[in-house]
Amino acid sequence: MFSFTKEQNIVDISGIKIGGQPGKYPTTLFGGFFFKGEPDFIEAKKHLEMMYKCSKKTGNPAIADFFVRKEEYIEKIIDFIIKNIPKQSPFSIDIIEPDLKIKILKALSEKNLLKRTIYNSIHVGTTEEERKALKKCSPEAAIFVAFNPKDKSPDGKIEVLENGANLLNTGLLGIAKETGIKKILVDTAAMAPGDNSGASIAAIPVIKEEYGFPTGCAIHNVVEKSKWIEDIGFSKKPVDAASNINIPLFGGDFAIYGPAKNSELVFPMVAWQDILVAEYAENYFGVEPVSSHPRRTLLK
Amino acid sequence: MKPETTVIGSYPVKYDNIDLMKSYFEEKEVSWNKYVDDAVNDMVNAGIDIVSSGQTKDPFVHIFMRNIGGCRIRDRAEVVGKVEYKGPITLDEIKYVKSIVPKNTKLVGLITGPYTLAKSCVDLFYNDCKKLSFDLADVLAKEAKNLERYVDLISVDEPFFSVDYPAYAHDLLEKIFDDIKIQKRLHVCGDVSSIVPELLEMPVNILSHEFKASPNLFDSFKEYDLSKNICLGSVRSDDKRVESVEEISRHLKKGIDIFGEKIVQLSPDCGLRMMPRSSAFQKLANLVRAGEKIYG
Repeated sequence: MFSFTKEQNIVDISGIKIGGQPGKYPTTLFGGFFFKGEPDFIEAKKHLEMMYKCSKKTGNPAIADFFVRKEEYIEKIIDFIIKNIPKQSPFSIDIIEPDLKIKILKALSEKNLLKRTIYNSIHVGTTEEERKALKKCSPEAAIFVAFNPKDKSPDGKIEVLENGANLLNTGLLGIAKETGIKKILVDTAAMAPGDNSGASIAAIPVIKEEYGFPTGCAIHNVVEKSKWIEDIGFSKKPVDAASNINIPLFGGDFAIYGPAKNSELVFPMVAWQDILVAEYAENYFGVEPVSSHPRRTLLK
Repeated sequence: MKPETTVIGSYPVKYDNIDLMKSYFEEKEVSWNKYVDDAVNDMVNAGIDIVSSGQTKDPFVHIFMRNIGGCRIRDRAEVVGKVEYKGPITLDEIKYVKSIVPKNTKLVGLITGPYTLAKSCVDLFYNDCKKLSFDLADVLAKEAKNLERYVDLISVDEPFFSVDYPAYAHDLLEKIFDDIKIQKRLHVCGDVSSIVPELLEMPVNILSHEFKASPNLFDSFKEYDLSKNICLGSVRSDDKRVESVEEISRHLKKGIDIFGEKIVQLSPDCGLRMMPRSSAFQKLANLVRAGEKIYG
């Protein structure tokens, strides 16, 4: 259990508060949509409703993370967001291709959605053109992926935030300053199994103590790539979901937990861990959980 | 005897960051070989006799501090515990270089000197530069031994000697080179005119300095009996202007006047990392041509 000496930064993104001392706010859960193939909006609507229902039940905030793979999907996905994400609620846009990222920033700006947008993500592959686009169309918040190809340890993650590990002319935090993005979420960059994957968890308290930024990761990706699990009955899905409890256990603030269809497994597991952390944090450190915390909503 | 052309160490690199990020998203191992390929192929194509790995992955201090126990890199290189050898540092890269160069191409193994490492980092543990330098020298001695089997020459790079020469410099070098049987070179860039006698006592075969940017060094060395061979810095590493073959030839003639047959290597003044790649390549190519013109 942790309590940090560094003052913790709590960001408020369209009413969802992320960050703070462990035990204060419940872990925010990012559920993913449209990872593969043609976007299936009927299925997505079902999963979105299920995710929000789980969130309402546990008190863990839910944020829909939309994976956009092709330009032709931009308009349709934005239309889906407008129709199905509650007004004022945040969502995140998850894109790999730099050109596509620039195009969606423009589209979100035109639809006045940037105030609700979490940009997923800024990293060493963020181009000069993308930086210019981010300056022009600044999203409300951004996830900074602290992936350092030279050093996957917690120190390496700090190096890339600070100075870009000599791969960029500035660190990722320099990009935040340059683009005017003030609400910073740090993703500690979960690696493949055996490739220092545990460092993404170990880095959470290191980064929170160093900077106080809300911190989390997509630790479930490590399970996703652990082929050996597939040989053991039905274990993959529950192990994938359970991996997320490492994040609150190590003082983290958010989990990017993979497909939103896994919400019914993920939310109760994380809520259970949040309760455990909050109990200890309150008894030992005097940190009181907010009224929406699972400790308050589920333990009557 | 005709001197061999060589390099001091680093070579320009342009990273493909999008490709590096793709390796993360696709959870594939990051490979730095293509950057080594670019650097080494340029050196070979320019006609350089003794090539390095190009030190493309990291700047010369970080290469070592990233891989030594008790050290870490955050905003800067930091020492946070007792410095210890964790395993080979540059060996895999030099083995890779050996696998891609033509058989007659020689290799130089590069070691950033312990004093330069100690002076370049934030020392949060020793608070004693001498002690830290000697512990680093212990680690670097093991690295030198690792490299010995695969390279033709080991070069220790100690730029800090020219700005703040420590009384124990000789002992540091001795610690690293004590058990090394192949050719040993010390490179100190900057103005070394005030420490020439000390440099001439170093336990190395070859001294390497930036004679092109600091031509006053010719006069400084002229005053002493030369007990060492010389690697003559002959093109600048801080100016992207490419020196012509004629200009380099004039420089070599001046060097021959002072050092005669003691010149055994021709090189750039220092690492070329900060140069545009096209300038770096052309500087090397012109250096080779000037060497051929003067020495045949």
